[in-house]
Amino acid sequence: MSIRRFRSKIASQLFLVLAILLAGGFPVLAHVGSPDVYYEGDAGPYHLFVTVRMPQVIPGVAEIQVRCESPGVTSIQIVPLRLTGPGSSFPPTPDLAKASKDDPQFFSGSLWLMESGALQVRVLADGEKGKGELAVPVASFAQRTFPMDKKLAGVLFALMLFLAVGIISIAGAAAREASLPAGEIPGPSNFRRAKIVIVVSIILVIAILYLGKSWWGLEDANYQSRVNFYKPPTAETTLENGNRLIIRARSEHPRWAERINMGQVVPDHNHLMHLFLISLPGMDRMWHLHPNLLPGGAFAEDLPNMPAGRYQVFADVVDERGFPWTLVGTVDLPQISGKPMSGDDSSWYGAPLANASSPASPENATATSPLPDGGAIVWQHSTPLKADAAMDFRFEVQDRDGKPAQDVEPYMGMAGHAEFVRSDFSVFAHVHPSGSVSMASLEMAQAGLTDATPAGMSAGMAMSAAPSTAIPPEVSFPYGFPQPGEYRIFVQIKRAGQVETGVFDAHVE
Amino acid sequence: MSQTISLEPRIHSASAERAAAATLSIPWYIWCAILSVICAVVGSAWDISWHEAVGRDTFWTPAHMLIYMSGILAGISCAFVILTTTFQKDSPSRDSSVSMWGFRGPLGAFICAWGGAAMLVSAPFDNWWHNSYGLDVKILSPPHVLLALGMMAIRFGTLIMVLAEMNRAQGAYRDKLERVLFFAMIFLLGMTVGIAQEYTNRIFMHGAQFYLVVMLAAPIWMATVAWVSGNRWAATIMTAMFTAVHLCFTWGFPLIPAQPKLGPVYQNVTHLIATDFPLLLIVPAIVFDLVRRRIGKWGRWAQAATLGAAFLVSFVAVQWPFANFLMSPESHNRFFATGNYPYFIPSTSPWVRNIWIPTEHSFGQFWLRMAIALGVAVLMTRIGVSWGEWMRRIRR
Repeated sequence: MSIRRFRSKIASQLFLVLAILLAGGFPVLAHVGSPDVYYEGDAGPYHLFVTVRMPQVIPGVAEIQVRCESPGVTSIQIVPLRLTGPGSSFPPTPDLAKASKDDPQFFSGSLWLMESGALQVRVLADGEKGKGELAVPVASFAQRTFPMDKKLAGVLFALMLFLAVGIISIAGAAAREASLPAGEIPGPSNFRRAKIVIVVSIILVIAILYLGKSWWGLEDANYQSRVNFYKPPTAETTLENGNRLIIRARSEHPRWAERINMGQVVPDHNHLMHLFLISLPGMDRMWHLHPNLLPGGAFAEDLPNMPAGRYQVFADVVDERGFPWTLVGTVDLPQISGKPMSGDDSSWYGAPLANASSPASPENATATSPLPDGGAIVWQHSTPLKADAAMDFRFEVQDRDGKPAQDVEPYMGMAGHAEFVRSDFSVFAHVHPSGSVSMASLEMAQAGLTDATPAGMSAGMAMSAAPSTAIPPEVSFPYGFPQPGEYRIFVQIKRAGQVETGVFDAHVE
Repeated sequence: MSQTISLEPRIHSASAERAAAATLSIPWYIWCAILSVICAVVGSAWDISWHEAVGRDTFWTPAHMLIYMSGILAGISCAFVILTTTFQKDSPSRDSSVSMWGFRGPLGAFICAWGGAAMLVSAPFDNWWHNSYGLDVKILSPPHVLLALGMMAIRFGTLIMVLAEMNRAQGAYRDKLERVLFFAMIFLLGMTVGIAQEYTNRIFMHGAQFYLVVMLAAPIWMATVAWVSGNRWAATIMTAMFTAVHLCFTWGFPLIPAQPKLGPVYQNVTHLIATDFPLLLIVPAIVFDLVRRRIGKWGRWAQAATLGAAFLVSFVAVQWPFANFLMSPESHNRFFATGNYPYFIPSTSPWVRNIWIPTEHSFGQFWLRMAIALGVAVLMTRIGVSWGEWMRRIRR
C-alpha cells in the first residue's frame, strides 16, 4: 500500500464507507497496439522463445508460453517481479509451467500481474545441462474496461430488484408482526406502521442504490483514468529554423507529466529517443532518427532533406524505471533542406504499401527486398501469417551476387532492427533480435539475474562490444502480429558502414 | 397459614417452568445460522490474511469456500424453515412467524435467507468486476459491499432469531439463549469494525478520522446489547468475547506457514499475516457499563449523550497512548504482532516506517472532526438504544 493510497484514503472523507482507493504505481507503455511481449534468449545453457500474453486488466492473469529451442529441458518455472527497486528483490513462489502433451519442448503457465508498471517475468529452466534463468521485462498496464454484456446485466438487474423488493418486504413484515405475541393476528395499527416502514425503506433502498451507482461510476472513472494514463502520449511537434523538429510528450491524463519525467529517460541502445517518421498514407518514405534531449524534457532533431508532406510520428523512449513509451502523432512538414544524415540515422524511399484496402493473399507477400547497392534482404517465410501467432521473422542479407553477405555489421549494437507497422498505424512495434522488449529495460532485467553473464543475454546485446566486427548475414526477430490486417515491415541492417533498409508487406489473417 | 398455602403452588409452578425450560433446546436452524456466521467470520479473516500473505491464485481457496458456504448454509437452512413453516400447518413455529409474499417463517429466517441470496448474487457481480477492472486488492468495492451486506444480514438475522426465541422464553432456557445472544452480537461488532479496518491502521490513530470511524462502528452495538440484555455487564461481556476471538486470529494466523504466490513482493513473508492487534474497545465498554447503571433513570437522549461521550473519551484516553506503543519497535513481537506486513507493502510505506499519517491538516480541523466524532458517538448510541428497545419486543 503506497503513500498515494493512504493519501487517497484521506481525501475520500465524504466516502468513508464507500471509499475509493487508488491502486499501485503508474508506469509506462510498451509499443502501440502491441502489448504482448516476445523474447528470445538464453537461460543458461538453454535457448528459449518466451511469449508473454499480457492481461487486458490489471491486476490480471498473463499467459506465459515458453518454447525450448535447446533439448533437455525438463521443467520451466515462471515468476513475476518488479523490474527495479524493492519489488525486484523478493520473488514470490514460482509457478510451474506445464509441458505440452504434444510437444514436450513447449511449456505454458499463467501468472497474476498484480501491479501496473515496469515488471519482469523470470523464467527458470531446469534440465539435463543444469539450471538457467532469464528475465523478460514486461510493461504491465490496463488496456481497457469491459462493458457488461446485456444478458448478464439483465440477470443482475433482476436479482437487484429481487433483493431490493425483498429487503423492503422484510422491513414491512418486521414492523407489522415481529413484536406480536405468538398467535396474535396483526391489527390495523400494525398494518399502518408497516406501511410507514415500507415507504421509508423504499426511500432508503433507492438512496442506497443511487449511492451505489454513483460509487460504481467513480470507480469506473478512476479505472478509466488509469487506462488513459497508459495510452500513448501525443508527440507534439514544432518546426524551428526551417529544419529543427522539436518533439514534446503530452498526455491527456492530468498527472502524467508529474509522474513521468521525460528529462530522465535512459539510453536505449545508445540513443535517448528513436524517432520514426513515416509518410502518410502509403508508408513510401521512412526515417529512423535519433533526436537529442533538451533541458525540460523536449527533444530536438535537425532533419535531413525531406519532401513536403504529412508524416506519422512514432518516438520511442524508455523512462528511468525501465518503461518503454511510444509517443504518437502526425506532422505536416514543408520541403526540408536539411543536414546530411550521419551516425545511426537512416532513411528509406520506395513503393507505397500495396493496396491496403484490398488485402493481398499470403502468397503475394513480398519475400525479397532489393537494397540500393544491388544486394537484397530475403524474408524466409512460407506459412500464412496469422494474428497472435508467435513467430521468428527470419531474414537473410544477400550481396549483389545473391550470396549471403559477408559485410554485415552490428547496427546500434545488434544484428538488425525491425519496425512492424499496420496500414492504419494502429500498430507500431520496434523489434530487435531479442524480441519486442526495449533493450534498456532488458539490460535492467538482466542485471538482476544471479548468473547474469553474456551467455545469458541475447546475441544482439552481446555484440555491442564489437561494433565493426562482421556478423552472420541472417537476422531474426521474435514477434507476433496483434491483429489481422495489412502490415509493412521495415528491416534495417548495416553493411560496410551503411545502414540499409529492406521493406516487406504482409497480409495477416 | 393462608400465605403459606397460596405460595406453594407458585413455587411449584416456577420450579416446573424452570425444569421445563432447562429441557428446551435451541432450534436447529439457529445453530445452522450460528455455524453460518462462524464460517463467514473465519472465512473473511482467513481470506484477508491469505490475500496479504499468499495472494489469490484461484477462486477455490479454503477461505473463499468458507465464505460462500456461509451463504449457502444460511440460505438453505432458512429457506427450509420458511417452507416447512409455510406448508406444514402444524409447524410449531407457525404461530410465532411473520408472513411475506405468501410465505411464513421466523423474521430472522427471512433476513438470513436474504443475506444468503445477496452473497450468492455478489459472486457473478464480483467475477465481472474482476474481469472488467482487474482483481481488486481492497476490501471495499461495490460487489464486496453487496457480499458484506449479505454477511451482515445473516448475522443480523441470526440475532433476530435468537432474540425472538429468547424474548418468548423464561428461566434457564432464556439464560442459555442470552449466552447465544452475546455470541451473535460479537459478530455484528466484528463486522462493522472489520469493514472499517482500512481506516483503523495504527498510523491513523493520532488523527480524528480514526476516532470518527470507530464511533461509527462500535457504540451502536454497545447500546444495543446493553438494552436488549438484562445483564449489567452486557457491553463488557460482548467486547471481551469479541477481543478474545480477534486475538485468536492475531495470534493464530502467524502459526500457519505461507509464501506469496503473487508478485511483486516487497516483504519477506513466511506465514499468514496476523490480524492487527485488537482495538482497546474493552476499556470504553467497561466504562459504558459502569456509567449506564448510574444514569438508568435518565431520558434516552441524555443517556445516549452521556454514554456516547464516555465511550469516546475513554477510548481516546487508552487508544491514543497505546498507539505510541504500537508504533514503537517494542511492539514488534508475537503478542502485539505489529511487525508483519502484507507482501505487497513497500518498505517505503508509512505503515512499515511507523510514520503517522495526518488525517487532518490543522488544529481546527482536528477538533472539528473530534466534535463530529462525539456527535456520531451520541447518535449511534441513541440508535443502539432504540434498536435494543425494539429488539426486546421481538417475538417472532
